[in-house]
Amino acid sequence: MKFLRAAASEVIGLFVADWTQTIVSVLILGAGWFVLSRVHQNGVAFIVALALAAQLVFATRLEARRRA
Amino acid sequence: MYAQLFTFGAAFLGSAVESVEALTIVLAVGLTRGWRSSLYGTVAALVALAVLVVLFGQVIVARVPESTLKLVIGTLIVLFGLRWLHKAVLRSAGVVALHNEEQSYEETISELKGAVRQDWVAFTICFKGVFLEGLEVVFIVIAVGGTSKGLPVAIAGGLLAMIAVAATGVVVRKPLAQVPENTLKYAVGIILTSLGTFWAAEGMGASWPLDFVSIFGLAAMYFGASRVAVMVIRHPVVARPA
Repeated sequence: MKFLRAAASEVIGLFVADWTQTIVSVLILGAGWFVLSRVHQNGVAFIVALALAAQLVFATRLEARRRA
Repeated sequence: MYAQLFTFGAAFLGSAVESVEALTIVLAVGLTRGWRSSLYGTVAALVALAVLVVLFGQVIVARVPESTLKLVIGTLIVLFGLRWLHKAVLRSAGVVALHNEEQSYEETISELKGAVRQDWVAFTICFKGVFLEGLEVVFIVIAVGGTSKGLPVAIAGGLLAMIAVAATGVVVRKPLAQVPENTLKYAVGIILTSLGTFWAAEGMGASWPLDFVSIFGLAAMYFGASRVAVMVIRHPVVARPA
């Protein structure tokens, strides 16, 4: 049971280190999907990539401040 | 060609990093408790991981439609890659300590000192260590191999990395503390985040200019963003009082 729990938390831990960052990333991708399905402009994909890169900078800075 | 190269590279580097961590556990247990049970535990974990790769890999490749596969797996790869990149940035900026294999080795040995001297202890610790570290390898191999239709290439990359790390471990018989783990995780984080973004966007219905070559552009962008993050953390802008 202990091993199964460790395996389950390991699987969740594959994708989630910080829940806020994960939720923001999923929201960015979800918004990109929503807009792309209506607008059909390839430029949206670049905006999604830029937003993900920006949230990386923001999330790491936030965690660094929290740990300081 | 580029797709296969990226698939192989991501699977190889990702597996190498995790194999180094698994090797530390196996070496610590093997050298203190004896090799027989440690190797049985390791082999049992490797068999379980291989079953997962074959089972899920086949199901994913054969049953899931391509656009859904790209969107779902692409999203998961983005989350996975960003997690590694996030940690690598914090380590590069000095916020989080670098992973120390020698320290992990000593910790495992001190854990073993209090345990009852029975074979199943060595078996269980090796099985658990290799299986849990290997789950990340399984995900990388299935995700990059399944989405790019290059599962055999990804499996080859993962296997080759494990063999290389295991062979080095047999020769040196101590934790591979010299392997630049953070740099490897940094590189794999960038590769996976770029691949994930590329596939997720394709799954959404977008098409990239120059097709697979765009991944280099995405990788350059994520690398740039990570360096900006390290710089901002190291030199925070302090607001001056008015």
